[in-house]
Amino acid sequence: MRLTLSSVYRPYSFPTLLKSSSFSTLCRPFCSSALSSSPTCVKPQVPLFLRQPIYSTKLCELKKWHDWAKGVAFSIGSTFVDSDNGPDSSLLCRELKWLMEDAVEDHSMIVKDDDSDERVKMRVGIEELYCLWKQRVQERRPFQYVVGCEHWRDLVLSVQEGVLIPRPETELLVDFVDDVVSENEDLKRGVWADLGTGSGALAIGIGGVLGSEGRVIATDLSPVAVAVAAYNVQRYCFQDKIELREGSWFEPLKDMEGKLAGLVSNPPYIPSKDISGLQAEVGRHEPRVALDGGTDGMDALLHLCDGAALMLKPAGFFAFETNGEQQCRALVDYMENYRNGSFCNLEIRSDFAGIQRFVIGFHQ
Amino acid sequence: MSRFLGKSLRTKGPLFLHKILGISSESHNILVLSRYRRHFSHSLPHNTSNLVPSTGSLQIRFFASEAAAATTEPSTSDGLTVQGILANNWNILDENDGDWKSHATAIAQSIHLIKRRLHWEKLKVRLDMLSFQLSKEDLWDDPVRAGKISREHGSLLGKMKEVNAFEQELLEHIDMIKLAREENDADLESESLKALLNMRRNAKEKELEALLSGEQDSCSCYIEVQAGAGGTESMDWAAMVMQMYKSWAQRRGYKVTVVDEMPGEIAGIKRATIKVDGEFAFGYAKAEIGVHRLVRISPFDSNKRRHTSFAAVAVIPILGDGSTHVQINESDLRIERFRAGGAGGQHVNTTESAVRIVHIPTGVTATCQNERSQHQNKASAMAVLQSRLDQLEMARQAQFNAQHTQSLTDITWGSQIRSYVLHPYRMVKDLRTNYEVSDPDSVLEGDLDSFILSYLSASLDKDDDA
Repeated sequence: MRLTLSSVYRPYSFPTLLKSSSFSTLCRPFCSSALSSSPTCVKPQVPLFLRQPIYSTKLCELKKWHDWAKGVAFSIGSTFVDSDNGPDSSLLCRELKWLMEDAVEDHSMIVKDDDSDERVKMRVGIEELYCLWKQRVQERRPFQYVVGCEHWRDLVLSVQEGVLIPRPETELLVDFVDDVVSENEDLKRGVWADLGTGSGALAIGIGGVLGSEGRVIATDLSPVAVAVAAYNVQRYCFQDKIELREGSWFEPLKDMEGKLAGLVSNPPYIPSKDISGLQAEVGRHEPRVALDGGTDGMDALLHLCDGAALMLKPAGFFAFETNGEQQCRALVDYMENYRNGSFCNLEIRSDFAGIQRFVIGFHQ
Repeated sequence: MSRFLGKSLRTKGPLFLHKILGISSESHNILVLSRYRRHFSHSLPHNTSNLVPSTGSLQIRFFASEAAAATTEPSTSDGLTVQGILANNWNILDENDGDWKSHATAIAQSIHLIKRRLHWEKLKVRLDMLSFQLSKEDLWDDPVRAGKISREHGSLLGKMKEVNAFEQELLEHIDMIKLAREENDADLESESLKALLNMRRNAKEKELEALLSGEQDSCSCYIEVQAGAGGTESMDWAAMVMQMYKSWAQRRGYKVTVVDEMPGEIAGIKRATIKVDGEFAFGYAKAEIGVHRLVRISPFDSNKRRHTSFAAVAVIPILGDGSTHVQINESDLRIERFRAGGAGGQHVNTTESAVRIVHIPTGVTATCQNERSQHQNKASAMAVLQSRLDQLEMARQAQFNAQHTQSLTDITWGSQIRSYVLHPYRMVKDLRTNYEVSDPDSVLEGDLDSFILSYLSASLDKDDDA
């Protein structure tokens, strides 16, 4: 649902906001314009917290913005929760706190209560802050795109429009790999693949649990994703360990047939008919190519199963994220009946919410 | 602050003990050497340590001198002891009056107080017991236990050594003054007098340090605040109390992190946990355990009536790496995440990644929602859970219900420790010590040290076992 400007905001408090025309162009077209640019020259954005603190604002101005933003957050109440399970006021308030932390260089200044003329150094101008929060609440732009990063496991990953924001559920896939390689030196030294890597989250997480000889090849169809993942890989100094290849699923892995020690993926798995009903942050802003899994959501998953049988070496490990119980069962069923003999020790694992989320197993 | 207690903790490792054990048969000789040194030092008070040839035997000397300290009381060449000084009842004059008897009495009083705060007699018994354990052949068959014993031994020995050295220094300076008078050496006399004055000033600091001599006092800690019954008014009070501790901790230079916070519907908090990182955080904060009471005209009452509300405070030490932690089995844990229902996964984009961990056998839980990833929230919650279980285990082992081993749920609402009155008069009063101030604002802004110190001194000084 859309909220009109006047119903949500106190109009007096943001005199310098962008005019509505320029504002509306700010949000949605990011994705398509980025994708249409030439694959070789995609330049990833720098997350807010890593930008230089070249702006400066009076503490009282910042305070004024903060009070305004808090008012906006509170005016939402449970509106978004009721419409599409979006964020409520208290969550927005926590995000506001994080936005401050990322935007202000020395955020211990923020606790000062007086409305002083003291200046604080910021990584973004105060007008831009008004704009960013407006995008967050009115446009429902995901918070992670607003600040340009997502905290995931112990990593802080750069994300931007055109790249799926890694989910907390997916953190568990790295734990599965960690468990497997800690018991199997051979897999720990091997070459792993993360297909549809997006921000590179899984690849970097797995890179951290492999031995010094282990390597990861991360693929993605989207040049934006490849550029962002490369940026993240570089930030964690994994250039020698993680190789990025642009292309669809197994296409860029032809040289690895029968050689992979492990294979992980969080492929698009939402059935096409469900896309239109998604939470606004997801449906309006995240790349459809990373979400839409076809009629029953299984297109990519089945393709991955077929590929895994071909690409994994004997006793190689795989782990896939799915839409839930139904897909998990269908996938296990497919592996047992149609790819009989290819896989063993198939297991369905639940996420922290108790939803059957992952299928893991080994190549024969 | 840590010079007194911290140094010995850091330097006494198991290796040091191996060394001692390897040559423990020589301890008899060393004891003799130590006595010889003490005796000899009267005529040669400067640079006495030159008498000890190597660092190895320097450490052994300390080990041996604990036994010596237990048997002979140090004295000046003419037999004056610390007790003797106190018995003389000399007047204590202002610091600026250069009377050595006055300085000596003030220092002797401090030494007496420090010993009482350290539970001196118990300390000696405990140290002898630990030394006995250390001398056993089979000590290192159980390395965990051996490590624990050696750490405690090192720590206690360090404390005892420090006080003994301080006492010795006092007596040596007195000797020097007497000597200087006999020899009519005015320079030497004024120099020694200056040294006594320095000791006197130093002694006050040592008195404070001795307040924090408990086993976990040097640890970082968690502080938890929970609102009592009474709705928004008491939730607001809980938030004020939490803010008071945040400000207090920041004033002391501690690092504060919010681990968990459950906000009230309208204002304030239902409960919250912060982590306070820094040396002696637990030692100080433990003085705040109990129920805090507020009396004021409630801003949430349209009829402007006077309200009384309560907030309970619990403080949990975070044991260091060297301590023995309770082993937690992954299979005993139920890990829950707070999340609105729904399909999860790619369907949902939320920054909400709170984690709650339940330790099924004990029912102890821990929640963290303030980190920005689920992984980090889980790690923080696990750390809280570990500390809670450690605390539970300590309570079980100790069997006596010392106050700091109470968890939040155990604190009865009757154990009120402090009252904050904003209306009809303004006052904060500690019900345990009767210490009070008439400026509630400064207290609520974190000016708590005088409350804490008066409580710590009162609770330690009333024990009459020195």
